[in-house]
Amino acid sequence: MDVEEGTENINLNTDIIDVRKTYDYLRKCQTHLVQSSEIATACVCQNLFKLDYPFGATRSDKDYLVANTVHDIMSICMGGPIFENWHRGLENYEQITKKIVKESSEIVNTIIKDTSEIAHRENRFVEDTFELQVNDIYNGLIMGMTRRLMKKHERPSRVLTEVTITNIKDHHEGRIDAILEYSNGYGLLDWKSYDLSNTISGREKWQLIANTLLANFRYRRSEDDWTGHNFSCIVHNSGVYFPKAETTRKEVERIKTNRKFAHMILCGERVRVQRPKFCPVCDKGLEGSKECLFYQRDARLAYEGKLPAQYEKMTKQFFAKRYAILKERAETHLHKHVVFSLISKHGEEEALRRLEKIGILCRGYSFDFDIDEKVVFSRADDNIPLEPRRIVRIIGIEEGKSILSCINEQASVMEVRNNKITLSFRSKIAVRRAKRQLFHLPIILLRDELNLTRSMLRPIHQFHKLAADVLIPAELLV
Amino acid sequence: MTIKLNPDQSRVLNWRIKSGGVAGVIGPAGCGKTTTGSFLAVKMICEGYAKNVLLVAFTNSAANEFARELSMVLGPEGSKFLCVRSGYAPGADPRLPIPFSNNIELVRAKKIVICTTQSLKRLSASIRFENMIIDEAGIERLEHLLSPFALGINQLGIHLIKENISYEANNIIELASKCGIVATVVGDPKQSRPIGLADYDLSAMEWVLKCARYDTLYTTHRLPDKLAMLVDEFADYGGLNSSPEIASRRFEAIHDIDENFIEILNPEVITWVNLNGNEMMAGPSSWYNEVEAKACVRICCELKRVAPSKSISIVTRYTEQRRTILKYLQHLDIESRVLTTTGALGTQADIVIFSLVRNNPERLVGALGSLQDLNVAISRSKEKLIIVGSFEMMLNGVTSSYNLNPRHKQNFPQKLARLVDKKYGMVVEAPKILYK
Repeated sequence: MDVEEGTENINLNTDIIDVRKTYDYLRKCQTHLVQSSEIATACVCQNLFKLDYPFGATRSDKDYLVANTVHDIMSICMGGPIFENWHRGLENYEQITKKIVKESSEIVNTIIKDTSEIAHRENRFVEDTFELQVNDIYNGLIMGMTRRLMKKHERPSRVLTEVTITNIKDHHEGRIDAILEYSNGYGLLDWKSYDLSNTISGREKWQLIANTLLANFRYRRSEDDWTGHNFSCIVHNSGVYFPKAETTRKEVERIKTNRKFAHMILCGERVRVQRPKFCPVCDKGLEGSKECLFYQRDARLAYEGKLPAQYEKMTKQFFAKRYAILKERAETHLHKHVVFSLISKHGEEEALRRLEKIGILCRGYSFDFDIDEKVVFSRADDNIPLEPRRIVRIIGIEEGKSILSCINEQASVMEVRNNKITLSFRSKIAVRRAKRQLFHLPIILLRDELNLTRSMLRPIHQFHKLAADVLIPAELLV
Repeated sequence: MTIKLNPDQSRVLNWRIKSGGVAGVIGPAGCGKTTTGSFLAVKMICEGYAKNVLLVAFTNSAANEFARELSMVLGPEGSKFLCVRSGYAPGADPRLPIPFSNNIELVRAKKIVICTTQSLKRLSASIRFENMIIDEAGIERLEHLLSPFALGINQLGIHLIKENISYEANNIIELASKCGIVATVVGDPKQSRPIGLADYDLSAMEWVLKCARYDTLYTTHRLPDKLAMLVDEFADYGGLNSSPEIASRRFEAIHDIDENFIEILNPEVITWVNLNGNEMMAGPSSWYNEVEAKACVRICCELKRVAPSKSISIVTRYTEQRRTILKYLQHLDIESRVLTTTGALGTQADIVIFSLVRNNPERLVGALGSLQDLNVAISRSKEKLIIVGSFEMMLNGVTSSYNLNPRHKQNFPQKLARLVDKKYGMVVEAPKILYK
């Protein structure tokens, strides 16, 4: 008996040491992930990507309250009234639009009311026309869907909304607005709350294609396997945009090149920027162009050796700090890399067993009840290796899918008491969505981290500009 | 004003009221950093040295401390009239008389604004503060220190400044001072962790001290004499002393102490309970020690019984040990604060139980060996400090690469063990009941 217990202890320690070694090893590696939205920015102009990372120059302080509210509404209505009223080849689409809008009015009103309440509580500016704007955009999106999308495509067998997919192998992560599942494949939807015909950068298209690569990975375990892909489209205020299949394939290379570029920049490597012939931000003098020109001028003066020594010394400090912050950004993805690495090494079941032993993830939870944005789960025993404030990714295990591409939501731990754990979700809408598409699946809670690096980089950018104002001679600034 | 300042605090106040630029005030545990900061803000406004002052802290609880001190200095009506608490609404203490608002016009109209570092982005970039007081406790990133500075830049004056000081600023702090930022950073470099990922990096406070003028507060209003002496010698403050009114404060039990705990709960200020439990790994880098966790809970139970009015905190370096202790406390339905050394920063309690956790044949103390963590853990208590863990392990502990800080080449666990044993406390063997 003693011998058996001893062996078990040795095995336990070996398992734990193995996981810890993986952590130690990966901490020394680059664990960056590039978001689909960042790839799209790099596709527009690589300098624009650098403006976000590593410079930290936020281009806009706008509060996207209307757009976010519309996204929230669509994420709930998609699996409800829209799905239920989906008919292929409709002629009287206006009538169906009215029906969907009518049936979803309760959802829309509740979400508008909740969002306004939160915005007022946080003292954010809410326009008088907020409700009107949201309703207007929502009606436009529904009209676009009934007129174009429903005309072309069958009702899907299942709809998933706001799905975060992580592809560690290709350093790629993204959140897809909606995935429509069919017996023979899948389709992707992306909501835009503005009229696409007024945009010039093509950023939306690249984001959609980048997300399509993630969907390929989710369903076929390879981003280059297009066998299940039915369509990808952007539903916007005045219609639906379907990129041609040839366009999509052609742009994939561009996506991959810019993903590699973005990853290399995040890893701190020196990469020569390919500036496009026309940049929709700088050449049009839009928001952010001043910042972009500032860093371009900085680089030019440094190349010409005209920068004062003190300024150069100070900018070196700034860049050292910026890359330290980027290293932290990489650390926020560490747990996911460990999961991937262990699964590759030991297979999924064994990897999960080891990770559970060390407390990186926990299984066996079932949904108890929810109040507002709080959800209570319970499990058979009281050994819950999580503490309040810990951020977790709640993953619903789907058969045949890689664990990091299964349906998931992020939440923070509020309370752990005996065999119950209370999680706080981002919003009531997130809870509602999770109840519909996540909680009925076997649940895994995986440790996760928040990425706050953008706000960390911002003061460094401000001081960089200040140093330039003070230390660079006026004649060089002209 | 009902609060009196000690000579150290008055000296700092008189110095900072008239001097500009960025400066530091070092305050070891319980020396009244928050009090000094709050008084400074009030004095600046009342005597017309500044039109508005920003008080910034890293955590909501520290920001609430500023608000509490201000309401004591100004009274409920005065603080309501002059001050506003801004930032994250649920984090603000509603019991305090200072109103909460993020409304930019209201914030602009008030003289003293209290906010957390993370919430500064809610304040408009168009507001400029003539003076700011920054509580450094908890800041582990340079950008957290820089973000309040950005609200103090005198943009209009930069071109005038440029005429005179071009090419003179060599670092960010000098640059900030030259650009019209007036800020007092209050903190303790011996309690703060390094900014950045490297353990040998400077802390935010050290960063300020390296490039700016500073003064030190030496009188603690929290630690009784022996504990003040231990902390002073352990962290090399160079003269930390206990204020006369609390120097002789000692723990006294109301009820009879169980015979198993008589040695532990003696009137000595510092007691080390030598207990040998096995450490266990958990998570990517955490540890726990079941025997120690149970022992801490048992001591806590006994303390609750014999001195029910006393506040008790259990402090540990490891999150996993905190979780384990909390689990046992919940089983027994006992309410008590269990904090990690990071969370304990800025807190205090009548009695503090410090669980060491680490105990292994290789004598590797790991992250427990850092000056900052040990210093925070031993400097929280107002009456009694109980250290629970292997004395021999700490006395012969090997500090790992974590502690290869070129500025602090000392074996701190060993230093602590020696100081407690030889000079300021007593080491007692754990009674058998603590092993059960």
